[in-house]
Amino acid sequence: MAPIDKNHPAAPTVIEISEGAAIPTRRDMGLFTAWRTAFVGAIAIVVYLAWSRPKPYLEILQFIPDGLFVTFQVTVEAIFLSLIIGLFTGLGRISKNRLLNGIASLYVEVIRGIPLLVQLFYIYYALGRIVNLPAVISAVIAMAVCYGAYMGEIFRAGIEAVHKGQMEAARSLGMTHVQAMVHVILPQAVKTILPPIGNEFVALLKDSSLVSILAVSDLLRRGREYASESFSYFETYTMVALIYLIITLFLSKIISIMEDRINVGR
Amino acid sequence: MSADKRRKIVEISHLEKYFGTLKALDQVSLDIYDGEKTVIIGPSGSGKSTLLRTINQLETFDRGRIIVDGMDISDKNTDINKVREEIGMVFQSFNLFPHKTVLENVNMAQMIVRRRSRDEAAAISEGFLQKVGILDKKNEYPQKLSGGQQQRVAIARALAMKPKLMLFDEPTSALDPEMIGEVLGVMKNLALEGMTMIVVTHEMGFAREVADRVIFMDYGKIIEEGRPDALFRTPTQERTRLFLKQILKAM
Repeated sequence: MAPIDKNHPAAPTVIEISEGAAIPTRRDMGLFTAWRTAFVGAIAIVVYLAWSRPKPYLEILQFIPDGLFVTFQVTVEAIFLSLIIGLFTGLGRISKNRLLNGIASLYVEVIRGIPLLVQLFYIYYALGRIVNLPAVISAVIAMAVCYGAYMGEIFRAGIEAVHKGQMEAARSLGMTHVQAMVHVILPQAVKTILPPIGNEFVALLKDSSLVSILAVSDLLRRGREYASESFSYFETYTMVALIYLIITLFLSKIISIMEDRINVGR
Repeated sequence: MSADKRRKIVEISHLEKYFGTLKALDQVSLDIYDGEKTVIIGPSGSGKSTLLRTINQLETFDRGRIIVDGMDISDKNTDINKVREEIGMVFQSFNLFPHKTVLENVNMAQMIVRRRSRDEAAAISEGFLQKVGILDKKNEYPQKLSGGQQQRVAIARALAMKPKLMLFDEPTSALDPEMIGEVLGVMKNLALEGMTMIVVTHEMGFAREVADRVIFMDYGKIIEEGRPDALFRTPTQERTRLFLKQILKAM
């Protein structure tokens, strides 16, 4: 994914669709307004419902936070692990060593071809016959393995986007390949890599709702528990959806602020 | 000048390199002596940059031998990083590290490769930045500098490693005309100090003034070599004559 100059007449049309919530920037006023409307609106509805009909809405709000913590825990741990996996996968994908390159490429192809939900089942139930991992750990591993493949492609693209003269300059000064990577290439790649990684972060947070199937008490699972006791499905899932929405909108806002900060330095 | 009595810094013998089926270097043999200034000229695609880049192994070669400062770089057991430490290289596109300031650019390899402390490296860096006349910009980032200034920083960065040999790969080709002079000036001073230099360039004035020897390459071969006055005034080969005519007409 080489950066494309959108103002250039010969540039091909780029359709940018990310898996996460759209990340608003100041340049895109329509989206910026939509972000504000959605964010303020969601909070207003949550507050209004809890205030006007405390039972069940306020009860739901009191019941869910444990799950929110689990959702965050799974997301953050999985992101952290997937970044490490992604870094090494990306390095493997550009490696001239055929074995490393082959392993990294195979990993990316295989993982990207299997739905995350199936991977979750596979690690928890199928592999559960060999090693019995706690549900949360299975969930974190499955998410990290899955997202590591996508992160790997992001790292690869980011590293390849650094001009090849940079590696040559570093090597000509006597640095080893690893030293050049660490001190010259990766610090420059980070600028290109951060925005898509932010997208993955938001996407992973949403996908973390899948782990509720493995008896992990995340946000969605807690909602389900409440709903099945109280039979107030409509009310519960309305709240769950609104809370996911508020979190992802909030996250995408933070990411867009971070992007602006990085771009200032250019 | 009795160059032959001096020490050979680079010995290239029967070098061959292919890009696919294209013969990029064809039986190139060349010795460079300590303190010698060699300028390589030739049309684009003649293999002059490729030859330069094989000397520090930014390009591999398929056949032949290169010995740099006594180290045989065709030998698999030679640590190429050790060889590169002794060879400074200046690129057409400067290749400064954009995420580092001017001073950090010059410090970096000294600290990582030469294992100098930050203070030690900075003292050396400032000396060389002073020498190329750009010490006042030491805390700027490269993109704030003009092309000529960036190239002078790149020269300081290479010199700070205290190399035995400097390679220049068309160092002024990417510069606006008004900046060429400042870079050539720095290179002339370096030559006067006795640095061993191999320069690929189209600057015939520089070649005439500074070079001990000019080499004309075409089709991956050394067509002709000689002292600049002789080669420029009375080239023996037809191809050299043709090339010089074209180049001088354009100037």
